Amino acid sequence: MKRAHLIAWAELALMVRSRVALIGVIALLLLSTIAAATSYTHMAQERLGRVANQTETDALFEAQPARHPHRMVHYGSYVYRPIGTLAGFDPGIDPFSGTTLYLEGHRQNSATISAVRENSSLMRFGQLTPAFVLQTLAPLLLIFLGFSMITRERTRGSLRLLLSSGVTAGDLILGKTLALGSVGLVALAPAWLTLILMAIVMPSEAGAAAMIGLGYGLYVLIWVVGIIAVSALARSGQAALLILIGIWCFMAVLAPRGAAELASRLEPLESRAATDLTIRAELRQLGDSHNPDDPFFAAFKARTLAHYGVSKVEDLPFNFRGAVSAEGEALTSRLFDKHFAELATTQRTQSNIVAYLSIFSPALAVRRVSMAGAGTDLETHLRFLQQSEAHRFAMVQYLNGLHRDRLSLADDAARSKDPQAEQRTRIGANNWAKAPDFVFKPTSAADRLSAAITPILLLALWLVAMVILAGWSGRVLAGRAL
Amino acid sequence: MKHLWREISFLLRQRASALAIALLTGLAALSVGLGLQEVARQKAAISEVIALQKTDTAAIKSFASDAGDAAYYRFHPTWDPPAALAFAALGQRDIAPSILRIRALALEGQMHENEAQNPELALPGRFDFAFVLIYLAPLVLIVLFYDLWSGEREAGRLASLQALPKARVRVWLPRIAARFGLVSAVLIVVFWVGALISGAGLGETLAFTALILTLLGFWTLVAILIAKGAGSSPTNAALLATIWFVITLIAPAGSNLVINAATPIPDGAAIMRENREVVHDAWDLDRDATLQRFYKLYPQYATSPPMQRPFEWKWYYAFQHLGDQHVEPLSLAYRAGIAERDARAGLFALALPPIAIQRGLHRIARTDMAAQSAYQDRIRAYHTRLRTYYYPYLFMAKPFTPADFDAAPAFDRPLGENIH
Repeated sequence: MKRAHLIAWAELALMVRSRVALIGVIALLLLSTIAAATSYTHMAQERLGRVANQTETDALFEAQPARHPHRMVHYGSYVYRPIGTLAGFDPGIDPFSGTTLYLEGHRQNSATISAVRENSSLMRFGQLTPAFVLQTLAPLLLIFLGFSMITRERTRGSLRLLLSSGVTAGDLILGKTLALGSVGLVALAPAWLTLILMAIVMPSEAGAAAMIGLGYGLYVLIWVVGIIAVSALARSGQAALLILIGIWCFMAVLAPRGAAELASRLEPLESRAATDLTIRAELRQLGDSHNPDDPFFAAFKARTLAHYGVSKVEDLPFNFRGAVSAEGEALTSRLFDKHFAELATTQRTQSNIVAYLSIFSPALAVRRVSMAGAGTDLETHLRFLQQSEAHRFAMVQYLNGLHRDRLSLADDAARSKDPQAEQRTRIGANNWAKAPDFVFKPTSAADRLSAAITPILLLALWLVAMVILAGWSGRVLAGRAL
Repeated sequence: MKHLWREISFLLRQRASALAIALLTGLAALSVGLGLQEVARQKAAISEVIALQKTDTAAIKSFASDAGDAAYYRFHPTWDPPAALAFAALGQRDIAPSILRIRALALEGQMHENEAQNPELALPGRFDFAFVLIYLAPLVLIVLFYDLWSGEREAGRLASLQALPKARVRVWLPRIAARFGLVSAVLIVVFWVGALISGAGLGETLAFTALILTLLGFWTLVAILIAKGAGSSPTNAALLATIWFVITLIAPAGSNLVINAATPIPDGAAIMRENREVVHDAWDLDRDATLQRFYKLYPQYATSPPMQRPFEWKWYYAFQHLGDQHVEPLSLAYRAGIAERDARAGLFALALPPIAIQRGLHRIARTDMAAQSAYQDRIRAYHTRLRTYYYPYLFMAKPFTPADFDAAPAFDRPLGENIH
């Protein structure tokens, strides 16, 4: 152990003397600091913007004048996907998915306004976030600093000298790992610091922040140990470098795109327009509110009349038109839910395919830990869509309830032709403030932790494999040197 | 020529080089195959929606007897079919919908619809030919070039090679040509097969090919510049890889930050909401005043009789259009801001050749921002034709017959191949 320390110190001293290594480390530190600062500020602005939009939208809703409640159904409302504190660390899917959802009666809209459609095409090259720096760039710096750590000893002939002076191959591997590990620690420092600061600002996120920190720690360690192992096994520094750049290119550049492409081909999604039209076709099968003889609505009418023991809708104790609206909305809503469930299942399957493929690339595994922990993964977006739809339904049915209970059928039927009746179908503005509010329930810390357990275990497995590889490389090294 | 063939056969006998070229060939072929499949899927999706829309329209026709109902209930499909070369550079087509169904109501709220894609899959970007070319091909060139001189020096052969008569023509140029030629040939042949299958025009195929050669030429020059230096083989490899990731990964991401900070755009969500406010406020405003404002824009309908009832379709469509009118300056600023961001990205691309090439590829394949906004402009123009088609029926009480229902203007973009 003492020898390993000496080797590590010697290696670090060499790195400090070599300007190139120092510049590399400083460049990475600078880059991750810029990334952390800009990403944090940007997401904080985004968060404030959405909160402001939500407040403004809710205030506008409550400020609407006395109106026919069905007008409010069409006026509708907007919800804006909230952003968690840790999203500044890894914005994940946030820029790639719609953030604004228009909620109105009879229709389910798509989430609109996404950064990716408001940015230049440069955005698709990658975003400068702490997550990107750690996932993609940090390993490359470690490769450059570590690839020749052991090959160099061999080509210079110092390896045999070391081994004959009582240093074991294990000492050498451990020492070099400690040296490269310290560089890894430096590379991690700004990210860990950012996470700690975020956890202080928002203590409830501390668990998730710790998990993200652990994930990246494991990830960097996998690279550190792997790089040393390859350096010990490779015949020359050149070979080690080429192999490592090849592995990096596969894991950090090729695998994410390849896995996404594969998932989208294995589980194709229907276009939104096709789904909309399918829903409309199914709706016509179930019940057509435009057809006075429609069996669905005729049955609803018969059932309602029988329930109240009357023979015509005019005798019902409420406005039958409002009841029909509510029944129609319930019908369409069931279809929306059914198709949304199908969409969510397909998208989850797609993401699971990528998750399975992360066996081949720790970069994919750490991305899952990072996005799940930061609450910027697919699950958060699906939750937003699902809760928004539930809110839409609750809001519309609240208004349909007013339509049914507060309006007279005669006025309601005459309002398009008779101005007095039209005035009487307007109900007080005080009713709008009583409509249900949208409160987004984000994925709980416990759920996010459990979503990250599998990828964390996968990373741990990778680390174990790398340690075994490094141990074996030590024996090979000793064998070759003799 | 014989020197070139000798160098090519040398190159292919080296395990690392042969492996790198074989891998590149395989990945390029895969990307082209996947791209062709994706383009076919997008076309099929467009046809599917047009077919489904026909059924829906028929059902609406059965009850929508007046122009107001027809214009209210009837959605009209618009589409943006992939151009012939889209298979090679899919660009923004995964994010923006290639089909948008619109109605003759206020348009602003209808324009922003998103495709139902999985954002986790959009995040890493597409695996298309442009990706193989911009990201992977340079790395293969680096592998082939980095030790061209240093390798000979380290093996002790450099001095004797340089001493050969006409060393440049007999050794170095053939070596460079073999490397550049082999990588170019592989990528171009794979691309041409794809272009042939998709029926691309000769001109665009050649333009695309020129961009491929320019990119590979750029990286070959960079690689030669570094490889000819005094550095050792590993130093050269590390230096080249650093240049690659700075140009391909860091610089674009950094530039994007600068561009966004320098080019703020209006809040798109606020524009949509403002549009809704103006449209819905009209219900509580003086009806005649609303109509008069509309007649200022469309004086030909000013002779329409005053409203007799609290609700008339003509008034409804008048305030729908006034809602769009109201937010038009904001909407124009929003679109101009996005265009400005893209234009500034073009300026940054001047300093970063791979970015410029990528933009060129997307331009030729019509999958770039400009193509997206051109589609949006076509939708807006079509929407104008659509709503103005209904106006005479609404304002001048022109009788609306089933034949008039069928005669509503259709989106006039060809569905099929080769849109130039």
